[in-house]
Amino acid sequence: MAAKSASSGKEKLIDDEEEVLQAVILADSFNKRFRPLSTQKPRCLLPICNAPLLDWTFESLALAGVQEVFVICRSHAGLVKNAIKESKWSKPGSGMKIVPIMTAKETFSPGDAMRDIYTRGLVTSDFVLVMGDLVSNIRIDEVVRVHKERRKTNKDAIMTMVVKESGPSHRTRAQGESSIFVLDSETSECLHYEHVQSHPKRNNINIPREILAEHPEIDIRNDLIDCSIDVCSVEVPSLFQDNFDYLDIRRDFVHGILTSDLLMKSIHCYVAKEGYAARVQDTRSYDSVSKDILSRWTFPLVPDDNHPGGHIYEHTRGNRYISKDNTVILARTANIGTNTMIGSSTQISENVTIKASVIGQKCNIGTGTTISNSYIFENATIGANCVIERSIIGAGANIKDGSRIPKGCLIADGVVIGPNAKLEPFERLSARRASVVVAEATAEENDADEDDDSDIEEVEANQDSVDKATLGADTNAIVWPRGPPEEEEDDEEGPENYKNQLFMRLACDGTDLVVSDGDGSSSSDDESSSDESDFHDGASLSGLSEGSAALDLTDVSNLRADAEFKKEVTQSLERAFAEGHSVDNAAVELKTLRMASNVPLTRVKEAVIAAIVEKITLVEGDMASQRKEIGSVIGRWGELINRIGGVDPAHCASSPRMSLFGQILAALYQADIVEEDDIRAWHGLAESQGSDRKTGVETDNFKKCWLIGTHMIQQFDEQDSETETGSETETDSEDEDKSDAAKTPVVAPKVPAAVAAAAVAVTAGSVGDQDSSSESSESDAEETTEGHDGGVSEDVSASESSSAAPSTTASEDESESEAASSELE
Amino acid sequence: MEQLVEIIRAVGRRLVEAQPKEHSVGNTVRKVLHHIREEYQTATRGTTVSTTQTDISIAKFVLQGQPRKHAAIPKTESKTTLKENDPDDPDSFARGLKPVLMEAIQDVLDELETVYDNISKNAKDHIHSDEIILTLGMSKTVESFLKAAAHARNYTVIVAETAPSYDGREMAQSLSSAGISTFLVPDSSIFALMSRVNKVILGAHVILANGGMFAISGSLIAATAARAHSTPVVVCAGQFKLTPLWNLYHEYGALDFGNPNDVLGFENGDLLDKVEVVNPYYDYVQPELIDAYITNDGDHPPSSIYRLLKETYDDEDNEL
Repeated sequence: MAAKSASSGKEKLIDDEEEVLQAVILADSFNKRFRPLSTQKPRCLLPICNAPLLDWTFESLALAGVQEVFVICRSHAGLVKNAIKESKWSKPGSGMKIVPIMTAKETFSPGDAMRDIYTRGLVTSDFVLVMGDLVSNIRIDEVVRVHKERRKTNKDAIMTMVVKESGPSHRTRAQGESSIFVLDSETSECLHYEHVQSHPKRNNINIPREILAEHPEIDIRNDLIDCSIDVCSVEVPSLFQDNFDYLDIRRDFVHGILTSDLLMKSIHCYVAKEGYAARVQDTRSYDSVSKDILSRWTFPLVPDDNHPGGHIYEHTRGNRYISKDNTVILARTANIGTNTMIGSSTQISENVTIKASVIGQKCNIGTGTTISNSYIFENATIGANCVIERSIIGAGANIKDGSRIPKGCLIADGVVIGPNAKLEPFERLSARRASVVVAEATAEENDADEDDDSDIEEVEANQDSVDKATLGADTNAIVWPRGPPEEEEDDEEGPENYKNQLFMRLACDGTDLVVSDGDGSSSSDDESSSDESDFHDGASLSGLSEGSAALDLTDVSNLRADAEFKKEVTQSLERAFAEGHSVDNAAVELKTLRMASNVPLTRVKEAVIAAIVEKITLVEGDMASQRKEIGSVIGRWGELINRIGGVDPAHCASSPRMSLFGQILAALYQADIVEEDDIRAWHGLAESQGSDRKTGVETDNFKKCWLIGTHMIQQFDEQDSETETGSETETDSEDEDKSDAAKTPVVAPKVPAAVAAAAVAVTAGSVGDQDSSSESSESDAEETTEGHDGGVSEDVSASESSSAAPSTTASEDESESEAASSELE
Repeated sequence: MEQLVEIIRAVGRRLVEAQPKEHSVGNTVRKVLHHIREEYQTATRGTTVSTTQTDISIAKFVLQGQPRKHAAIPKTESKTTLKENDPDDPDSFARGLKPVLMEAIQDVLDELETVYDNISKNAKDHIHSDEIILTLGMSKTVESFLKAAAHARNYTVIVAETAPSYDGREMAQSLSSAGISTFLVPDSSIFALMSRVNKVILGAHVILANGGMFAISGSLIAATAARAHSTPVVVCAGQFKLTPLWNLYHEYGALDFGNPNDVLGFENGDLLDKVEVVNPYYDYVQPELIDAYITNDGDHPPSSIYRLLKETYDDEDNEL
């Protein structure tokens, strides 16, 4: 036992010395965008440029110096496992240890997979999380280094997302699913994350105002490709475990972490200036990533240099890649265009034209066929005089003579069509299985692919008599339904909704969407192209308006929710008061409440302060006992206001305890809950004067409050200059600082009390009284200051007094207060 | 012995496959093989009393290439069987040979380490005072060559920027910090400036068997411009750049295309669909455009490179 622990200790030591960089690949797409191509094999084993996607991912990780890889596979797990076993990476000396992990069938989302990682305890240190469809040449080790550096100083930085700069309408940027990042310009901390999809389309995003308040400089970016490379700390899987409702890593996890007040974690972004990284998320990005590889953006991961499949290609001018092992048979009259790749043992007959396409291994292409912008997997046979445009042809497919395959078609493995088949654009075909009975039997036996099979059965069941006219006489194909599925499983919000998926299709350029959209709803052509810039404007606009947009957006339903929330807060606070909870507990309770009802922080503040103010019992007549009462309540619960963050005094106007405003404010100030600057800022706001309020009573109340604030500020000024004059020689400026000097001997030790007294005077007496009292104090001031010599006024005191001067005049005459406040602003 | 050669070959093959475009790796492996064979032969031959050297005739030379080897081989075969299968002590031969082979390999290493010194040794014979030299790219060899010449001579260097890698900037900085008066010019002005240039000094990526070379893109412009002005073009390169290859198919350039990112940023998404961006890394410079190679092995005209190759490597290693 002892020996064992010693050895494990030793292992730990070794681990510390040279930390193994671990990576987790989620080798499942958790969606169905590649169907029907992905019915027979998982997406990560689909070939891109004649090598399985998973191999490209391994190559990318190997480039980054990753030593241990866990591959999480769900659908077709056996196939993935075999593929890994046969790949060159599992050979000794590959430098990477690859462990395939089978996860349960119930894993339906990346979040589930992360929880699985946690329960299995796979990762021991910071790890790299990627999807199984990544093509990248970014130096991930550099990102890891930056991440670790950051972790040393800030334990809460749990994740670093790698994003790549590109233009907003870059071909490699996912159209259906993109995101807006709000980053701190200096620390590149991700402050806000907004998921964007083409449908339903949005023209604005909301950025919480706290972000704008806390960070002097932020970047709102809509030009980043999200590479789905995340450097995660060990805590990340456990966070998934704790929050069992997180499904998607971006939409749920990142968004959840960033909006949560409880977790206090932060996520950073690494904006890759150099290098290439992209995910094959859908057929559209399959097309663009293939093109990027062929035009060498992924250098040094290019077919002629480090082809992940281990094939050797000869690169000739114009980015033509032809297998180097002399097995390709090219007819002399074949026309091979630019950006083309031809796998080994492929035969290309006379008069064939191939442009910007990838032809797999052992394909056979008949005479006179034209192939452009298409991807033909291995063992496919294409007859003579076919035309194939912007489509994907699965492995072993057989397209017979004279067929026409227009743009956007997906033809699954083993499909036979033709001769003379004429497909519609965006047709999806898969092979009919031998017989339905057998299919059912296999479905029962092999429950791994149960859901896939059931889907196929559904398609088969819905299949009318096969249209021999369009698919050709010898076909074995079934056509997948084109329209939106009748029962919409996914809610409209998710990225998997039907209309959004249209944007992700191969060769989709927006123009045809009106045609294919039954209702031709919001996705007209020009809109979809311009919405990127709209997003940009919307984002920056709401950013500029200092978050007030969030408040403006409150509609009727929001108001109702607000009222409900307020009630909840009051109730929970009442319970806290009654049961004497500690401030900590009450704060946590409030935070969870806020999360649950999803309201902005300002609402919480208002509700809490209202509740606390209500808590203060009214003591008629007796000033001293009233003050004491306030003191005790604030002393007990004031900290709570601080916990929630900040204060917004405007609410108490409508409360019956209006008269106590001054005292409360003073008590809050004394307890360091309200800062002087806050009061000043509030005072400066036009709103605080109630100028925008309707009812007469409230306006009056607001005005009174405002007056008290004026006094308060006056006091602050005095206090400030007192400290200054005290520290230096007793020189005051002649005209402005009189009042300060006058009051300082008396007031300075207990400024807030004096303010409170003044405030009570205001609220108790009429405005006229107040005028006289302030005048009298000012005349007093003049008397006393005349004793001092008028010296050179300090810069600071001068500036302060300039701000104080209008407020004094304002207090003298209420009617002038409006003008004065505008001056203040 | 054959085993050893085979092992080294296998290792070399793997190395070459890992980086098919870095020919220096293969060249060094070839050289190691060559040295091992040589040592082996001398070791086995040392025991024989008489070495009848077959006379070398010019007529036979093309076939033979390496007189030493052909003379030695018949003898080694008989000798090795004798020595290697020594019944008393089967290991004795290996024991005796091992240090010699290690020394041979060490020689190769030493040679690689001293390449720059050896090349720059006679720099001052090539560069004269008040000359204007044009170079481009960042070549370690050229850099040390020019710096060595600066000790003895006072001259001016014009460095072309060498887009898109802009290695030239680095070069210019390094040279001027060494106290050489340096000008950095854009690639486009190479031709305009050529009339004033006394000598063009280039680095090489690979020296081919026909005397041509692959060098960083832009070298061809410079060499052609130099030809137009009859300016001598001198190439500085270590001997390990000698490669038994011919540039048969691609007349004007090497097919090593880099990342187009350097030419056009990836973020210009709209453009990417419409243009083909290529970033050729090397130029092929024909032997006619080159006047001399300065190697650590002395100076050679392009026409005698094939001879150098024959001497440096064994024929059977041309294909690893």
